[in-house]
Amino acid sequence: MNQPARVLSPVLSPASARSVMERIATQLGRAVQGKEPQTQLVVTCLVSGGHVLLEDVPGVGKTTLAEALARACGLSFARVQFTADLMPADILGAQVFHAQTATFQFRPGPLFRQLVLADELNRAPPRTQSALLEAMAQGQVSLDGATYPLPAPFIVVATQNPVDFSGTYPLPDSQLDRFMVRMSLGHPAPDVEARLLATRGSTPPLDVVETVTGPEEVASLRTLAAELKLDGTVADYVVRLAKATREHGDIERGASTRAVLALGAAARAQALWDSRDFVTPGDVRAVLVPCWAHRVLLRSAVQGVTARDEAAHLLEELARKVPAPR
Amino acid sequence: MRPGTRLRLVLRDLGTGAAFTSMAVSGQLPVWTLALFALALVCALAGRRVFAKREKLTALLLLVVAAALGLNVLAGAVNLVVAACAFAGLISAHRLLSAPDSATDGQVHLSGLLMVAGGAALSGELVYGLFLVAFGVLSSMALALGVVEASVPEGEPVPVRQVMRPLATGVAFAVAGAVAFFILFPRLNWNMMGPRASPGLGAASAGFSNTVRLGGTGTIKGNPRIVLRSTLSPDPGKEALDAYWLGRTYDIFDGQEWTSAGPQRRGSTFMVTLRPGSEDLVHQRVELLPAYGARTLVALETPSRLGNAVGQHQAGSRRVGIQEQPGGEVRFTDPALAYTYEAYSRPPGGSGHELKDLPAEEQDALLTIPEDLDPRVAQTAARVLNGEREPLAAAQKLAGWLQRELTYTLELSGDVEDPLANFLFVRKAGHCEHFATALTLMLRTQGIRARLATGFFGGERVDGAYIVRAGDAHAWTHVLVPGRGFVTVDATPPAHRASQSSVLLQRLLSFYEAVEARWRNSVVDYSFRDQMDVARALVRPPQRRGGDDSPSRLPPLRAFGAALVAGMGAYAVWRLLSRFLDRERPHEATRFVDAVEAQLTAARVQRLEGETLEDLDARLTREGHPLSPALTPVTRRYLEARFGGRPLKQGEASQFLGGLKRAISAESRRRAS
Repeated sequence: MNQPARVLSPVLSPASARSVMERIATQLGRAVQGKEPQTQLVVTCLVSGGHVLLEDVPGVGKTTLAEALARACGLSFARVQFTADLMPADILGAQVFHAQTATFQFRPGPLFRQLVLADELNRAPPRTQSALLEAMAQGQVSLDGATYPLPAPFIVVATQNPVDFSGTYPLPDSQLDRFMVRMSLGHPAPDVEARLLATRGSTPPLDVVETVTGPEEVASLRTLAAELKLDGTVADYVVRLAKATREHGDIERGASTRAVLALGAAARAQALWDSRDFVTPGDVRAVLVPCWAHRVLLRSAVQGVTARDEAAHLLEELARKVPAPR
Repeated sequence: MRPGTRLRLVLRDLGTGAAFTSMAVSGQLPVWTLALFALALVCALAGRRVFAKREKLTALLLLVVAAALGLNVLAGAVNLVVAACAFAGLISAHRLLSAPDSATDGQVHLSGLLMVAGGAALSGELVYGLFLVAFGVLSSMALALGVVEASVPEGEPVPVRQVMRPLATGVAFAVAGAVAFFILFPRLNWNMMGPRASPGLGAASAGFSNTVRLGGTGTIKGNPRIVLRSTLSPDPGKEALDAYWLGRTYDIFDGQEWTSAGPQRRGSTFMVTLRPGSEDLVHQRVELLPAYGARTLVALETPSRLGNAVGQHQAGSRRVGIQEQPGGEVRFTDPALAYTYEAYSRPPGGSGHELKDLPAEEQDALLTIPEDLDPRVAQTAARVLNGEREPLAAAQKLAGWLQRELTYTLELSGDVEDPLANFLFVRKAGHCEHFATALTLMLRTQGIRARLATGFFGGERVDGAYIVRAGDAHAWTHVLVPGRGFVTVDATPPAHRASQSSVLLQRLLSFYEAVEARWRNSVVDYSFRDQMDVARALVRPPQRRGGDDSPSRLPPLRAFGAALVAGMGAYAVWRLLSRFLDRERPHEATRFVDAVEAQLTAARVQRLEGETLEDLDARLTREGHPLSPALTPVTRRYLEARFGGRPLKQGEASQFLGGLKRAISAESRRRAS
């Protein structure tokens, strides 16, 4: 349970950070082919210390992506299938009576892994959802008066089906806000699909994924990203974007302060892709839609995928309208 | 043609027309140029641009015109400045009739500016000002519409209606701003070397000649132009003044015309500085307006002292000398547009001259009668007087007889052999000069000394001052009364002494002249000194009125008003300045990126909406654009300098820009080959 000692983690430069990130993305690409933007985004989210919400129809590789990430980064992994009868204790763990010592002992649940895949998150009752989300936000679990820290790095990849809403408890907007990025993979291109068909029979997809880094390096990547320079004008740009969403006629509720912070963090990680040690307005725009599309509440009554598309469209328009610092 | 274009062209053409008219109002342009321009303007307004197809060929016409004007100048018929102005007008006429592309538009506006400048050189009067403003307004609208049109994509309608209103507001603000600038900005005067036309409607009176000739044809006494404005102190306070303004006198009549005896006192020029006179004299501050057209000083009867003369020139005001002439006339020595001077006059009742004060030849002249004078004149006089020998009583008796027996007419008699006999016995009608001449000579036949006086009669109160019109010119008789000097006796029927024009015309003209005088004083001759006067007038302590001895020492209300306005102005300026100063100086890297983007724009690299250099570079790299290898390091360095806290070093920006420029020119060469 102890955190790995920081001093041991290798000191990274932006250029070497980029190579690490590219290595990870390459491994992810081997598992989920033809999805470079999405795999890059997942790595960006990993580096910025956020959690990922994958919204997609079943069978496009959501689980594979999460598992590949765990394997490429050498993270401990757990997959939790969220169902209607899943209780908080099922994921957090429980006090178990130890007969030999006649004491209660804490048995950690599946959440105590570095990468947790919360499959079909919206199928679990709100109690369980909020237990997970609290753990995501705090990085620790409180149970029966005791606090148990989660391993570091801790990253949750949650999935949900945006089309089939029957028998689900849709995530409240306040909970959605806790995911740094929301993304969907979409169906692969026909040629990729054909290649899959030809090759997938022989080797399971995850077998080709190699471990190219470790939790220590991920932690130091996060440290490096968090220390990147964010110029005052860029910070002002982020704030102006947030203000624009709050004042937009079609948006019921604009970006929250948490959204502003998340966008900054994601933009910092994004800057590393260009091996820069500072953030540009372009970095902000690159992560704007995945970072914010699920956080703004539209006035129109549309739900699910359509709402996301509309929000993405509005945000793209705002990015064009709000003048970037020059 | 797109809607909107037509309106713009009409505005442009009208503006040019206004510019040309601003020159034409000086009345100096040759008539044929007026006709040519008017024809061109009408054609252009009708949309018939007849030179559009053969621009170069028709430009030869201008050569012909230039040659004609040159010949005129050589022949001395036309001044060089006038010829240049006329030529500018004809160039502009040619451009009006050419195809309306953007180059032609620019040339039309430019020629309009030239013509306005020419108009300023030819005349600086009120009408010019009106056309100047018209040109400014119309051309600004046309230019602004042109900008709007240029920004609307091809094939879309121009939003003329929506644009016109803010445009008109903007132009109104601009005109107001120009006026404020004109009034407030310290001015320097310079002398225009062009031949200035006399302002306004020109001189209205013929002035005072050395002779008065009876006869002539036509009608007189119809001119309501104001020639003189005067303040009197003590102020008589009457609406219409019953006073004689003396210009000069005549004492020798030869049967046809009056002349003056007396020595020629040329060369005795005085710069008279007047000091306050004694209590019983009437003080006048007289302004002779340009319509006066003469150099003779006039003053209320009987003038005692004249001086403090100032002439108004194009270049400003300066003192002028005055000179005494025969007949008691006092003239300014230098010509000027207008004059001001001060005069003191004795109250009516006699000039105070005694016979012995006069030079000998003048004493004799006061009794001379023409040798061939009709004997009936003397007989009539004797019969009317019936033994009356007292000069004043005799004069009044004769004047009464003349007023009763003869009628007044504005129609001149025409040249006759003996105008006096014709007036008295044949026509039995005439104007003031006939009446005055008749009275003077009838008195002389009876041994009573008298002379003819000319000047103005009347005075109409306007704005606390008295104005005299050209039509108020009058002639009367001076009778020498022992012990009192010359006394005025007027033989003209009282109803016909002052101006005879219609009231409506008088009103209209006095309005025009008031505006014109205001224009001249506040615009054409508005100098730095006038600006100081305005400032001083705003803060001058209130003038004590009679009986008003309030102990208040506060400055007048208008001083507070002026301070308020000045304060608001200062605040506005401060706001403007502070906004300007507060505005962040553009980052060095921002200027760098501006230069980079300018180069890219010049190289016709397509930009998307809201696309920054960073986005553009990323897109060009994606697209494999040939410029991208050169642009990427520039973009990266810019981003570092702007957001990464690593400022550009000395000369680094130009180095990068040079590299980009080379890449762009290499690319354009490659594309060309």
